[in-house]
Amino acid sequence: MPHRRVVVTGLGVVCGLGTGAEAVWESLREGRSAIRPIESVDMSRIAFKNGAETQGFDPSAHFTPSQIDHYDRFAQFAVYAAREALRDSGIELTDALRERTGIVAGSSLGGQTTEDAGFLDVYNKGKNRVHPLTIPRTMANAGASQISMELGVTGPAFTLSTACSSSNHSLVQALGLLRAGTIDLAIAGGSEAPFSFGLLKAWEAMRVVAPDTCRPFCKDRRGMVLGEGGAMLVLEPLESAKARGAKIYAELAGGGMTSDAHHITQPSVSGPARAIRIALEDGGIAPDEIGYINAHGTATPGNDPAETRAIRAVFGDHADRIAVSSTKSMHGHALGGAGAIEAVATVLALKDGILPPTANFTEADPECDLDYVPNTAREQRVNAALSDSFAFGGLNAVVSFRAFRG
Amino acid sequence: MPDEIEEKVIATLASVKHIPKEKITLESSLADLGFDSLDTISMLFELESAFQISIPDDKARSIRYVHEIVAGIRTLIAEGSLPAAAAS
Repeated sequence: MPHRRVVVTGLGVVCGLGTGAEAVWESLREGRSAIRPIESVDMSRIAFKNGAETQGFDPSAHFTPSQIDHYDRFAQFAVYAAREALRDSGIELTDALRERTGIVAGSSLGGQTTEDAGFLDVYNKGKNRVHPLTIPRTMANAGASQISMELGVTGPAFTLSTACSSSNHSLVQALGLLRAGTIDLAIAGGSEAPFSFGLLKAWEAMRVVAPDTCRPFCKDRRGMVLGEGGAMLVLEPLESAKARGAKIYAELAGGGMTSDAHHITQPSVSGPARAIRIALEDGGIAPDEIGYINAHGTATPGNDPAETRAIRAVFGDHADRIAVSSTKSMHGHALGGAGAIEAVATVLALKDGILPPTANFTEADPECDLDYVPNTAREQRVNAALSDSFAFGGLNAVVSFRAFRG
Repeated sequence: MPDEIEEKVIATLASVKHIPKEKITLESSLADLGFDSLDTISMLFELESAFQISIPDDKARSIRYVHEIVAGIRTLIAEGSLPAAAAS
């Protein structure tokens, strides 16, 4: 029996580029980068200075003081995005539908900011107590749980944590639950709030963060730049979306997941290439139908040539006809939230026929020889697109989308 | 006779990679010694602690041989490199 087709009917997103899909999409289309000096952390003892912090995301505009007490920043992003996506979908949640709705919310780090502050108290400030909300704020599933509580969703809800692939793994799991008929509606994506002193120090020690900005696929790229934020997508079977006359952004056609079994931080070519192939096959998409790839594109020395080779390995000559951009050049690398933010960019690219660029682009690395849509968005209708995520730990998850022409 | 800096560098590398000091010479390359990217950043971290210096990313990226590490550390010490804030 053919599986149920699944479509995207709601989007919610907050990141450095703005609060809300409309604002974020406008920034992406204009190729504006949100990378600037980090303000929420004292950076005087950190070697890099720049990140992509949300600008103008005021928690008190979205949450009650009591909610703010309970929600770490990563959960605030998750809940904000879920609310926006649900509102955007126009779905009225009935009690029956709430039981048939699933939540899959990815996060790499959970409530890192809360943990950092709490442990500072006992390790360094001589205090003998940690705030009693430290555990409920810190746990990685806090985002999924707070979404469930706020929306009254009572179906399966969980968090996937696969570093930089967390969001894409979440989207693929939600797709599977919908196809299998386990649920009839999903809110899926991910979020991250990585701007805390201890964590930034840990990234500094990895020596992979650029001192300037994020220049994916460029010869003079100097590493990744961290970003914060998250996104959620409302997913539902095509027939129910049609039945209620929903606005359909695109079809979530398939997903491909592989592991490198290679190295805890160095990427491989074969693992990502296999994930891309599986995402195509699973979505019933022929390689030459793909017109756009939202790349993992971290701008680290290792990722960009490996990802380029993986794309070439799968697509052969057709690789030269695919627009490949890394929107991390604009919203930074939001780790467990990255794939969801990039899924929003990919879905809107399919819907509006505008391909977001790779910003901050100078000169291509000779090892990176694809069309990276340098600096300026391109008006181009494409029929199908991919969004890549390749995590530390060699865990790869790629999602494939098809344009929906109702 | 190896001097104190050379000895300390070799001891640090041996400790990070869990190999005998005798396997390491000034002419050894990090690749030959089996250092991957994570071994390398761990080595830089330990060298910063051992010598109370701060090794910038740009300098670190070009290192291939043990003698380059020794030379780089001599330069940083001569320049009076400030230790990373938390190196102590």
